[in-house]
Amino acid sequence: MTPFLTRWQPWLSTAGRLFLAGVFVLAGWPKLLDPDGTVRSVRAFQILPEAVVPAFGYALPVVELAIAVLLVIGLFTRAAALAFAGMMVMFLVGIAAAWARGLSIDCGCFGNTGATVVDPVPGYVKDILRDLGYLAVALAVAGRPRGVLDADRLLGLAPADPRDADVEHAAS
Amino acid sequence: MTNARTAKTAREKAAQMRADVERKAARKRALVAGILVLVVIALAAGSVIAIRSLQSKATAAPANLVDGGILAGNASSTTTLEIYEDFQCPACQSFENSNGALIDEYAKGGKVKIIYRPVSILDWASTTQYSTRSLNMVAAVVNSTPSAYPALHKALFANQPPENTAGLTDAQLLDLAVQAGAPKDAVEKAMKDLTYKGWTKTVSNDLSKRFPPGATPTVVLNGTKLDNPGPEQLKAAVDKALAG
Repeated sequence: MTPFLTRWQPWLSTAGRLFLAGVFVLAGWPKLLDPDGTVRSVRAFQILPEAVVPAFGYALPVVELAIAVLLVIGLFTRAAALAFAGMMVMFLVGIAAAWARGLSIDCGCFGNTGATVVDPVPGYVKDILRDLGYLAVALAVAGRPRGVLDADRLLGLAPADPRDADVEHAAS
Repeated sequence: MTNARTAKTAREKAAQMRADVERKAARKRALVAGILVLVVIALAAGSVIAIRSLQSKATAAPANLVDGGILAGNASSTTTLEIYEDFQCPACQSFENSNGALIDEYAKGGKVKIIYRPVSILDWASTTQYSTRSLNMVAAVVNSTPSAYPALHKALFANQPPENTAGLTDAQLLDLAVQAGAPKDAVEKAMKDLTYKGWTKTVSNDLSKRFPPGATPTVVLNGTKLDNPGPEQLKAAVDKALAG
C-alpha cells in the first residue's frame, strides 16, 4: 500500500463500514415497516418459489439491519462486509435476471414501488452500477477490516494484522 | 552457549507464545461467531413468526363484491375487463384521464362486464398510509352503496395527493364518501376502525400473485393482461373481444 493508504487505512475502513451500514439501514428500515410490500417486491423478481417468498421477504430486512449493526460497532467486520458483498451479488443476479427475461419492475431495493415502469432498462442500469459500487466498497472493507475504535479490536477478536509481521521481522 | 543457539531458542519461544495467543483469539472468535450466527437466525425466524402473528386475522371483505371486485356494466357479459388501481398511483390517475370516458361508455353500453379492483400498494409513498385509508373508505362505501364506485373513484383521482405527502385527511375522505351517497355514520366508523384493512392487504397480495410484479394500473381483458393500453388499444382490444 502507498504510505498514504497505510497511514489512513483504519480511517478509510471505518468510513467504508459506516457507509455500508448506512446503506443497509436506509434499505432495511422501510422494508421492515412494510412487510407485505417487501414480500410483493421479492415476488416481483419471480426467481424464488412462492413457498419461500414470504419467509424471505420477512427475513430480508432483519438480516440487512443485523449486518448494519455489526458494521456500525465493528464486530466481525470482515464477515459482515463479506455478507454485505454476498447480498450485493444476490441483488445483482436478481436484477440481471429480471432484465434478461424482459420483466418490467422497479428494483424495490429501497422500498417498494407500484407505478408501472414503461422502460425499466435505465433503472436496471442505474441499480446495477450502484450495487457494483457498494460491492467494491464491501470488498475493500473486507480486505482491510481494521478500523478506528471497533469492537473487534476492543474484544481482542481481530485476526493477526499483517502489519505486525513486518514489525516482528524488523525486531528479529 | 553460543549466541546463535540462544537466539534460536528465544525465537522459538516467541513463536510459541504468538501461536498460543493466536489460538486463544481464534477460539474466542469462533465462540462469538457461533453465538452471533445463532442470534441472527433466531432474529430472522422470530421476525417471520412475529410478523405472521401480528398480521390481522380480520380480512372481512365488504359486501356487494362481484368476483371479489366492484362491478360496473353488465354482470352477465362474457367480455370481462378488470382494472387494478391504487388511489395514490399517479400512473392510475393518467390512465383514468386517458381511458375513463371510454370505460364509462362500455359500462353504460351494457355489453361489457367491468370489475374494478382497487388495491393498496403505495403506503410507502405516503406519510399517512393514504392508499390503505382511501381504499378502506371505498370498501366502506361499497359495503352499502356499490353503485357509488364509479363517481367516487373519479373524485379520488381528481383529488389525488402528490406522492410522499400526507394525502387527504380522514375528514376529507369521509366528505367524498358522503357526496357519493354513502351513509355517514357507517363509513365514519369503518374508517375509524380501519375495518377493511385486512381486505386491502389481501387484494393487494392477490394482484402481486396473479400478475407479478403487481404494479398499477393493471388492465386485464378476459384474463389476459393488456400492456399499458391507451384508449385506441383498449378500444381495439375490447371491441375485438366483443365481436369474437
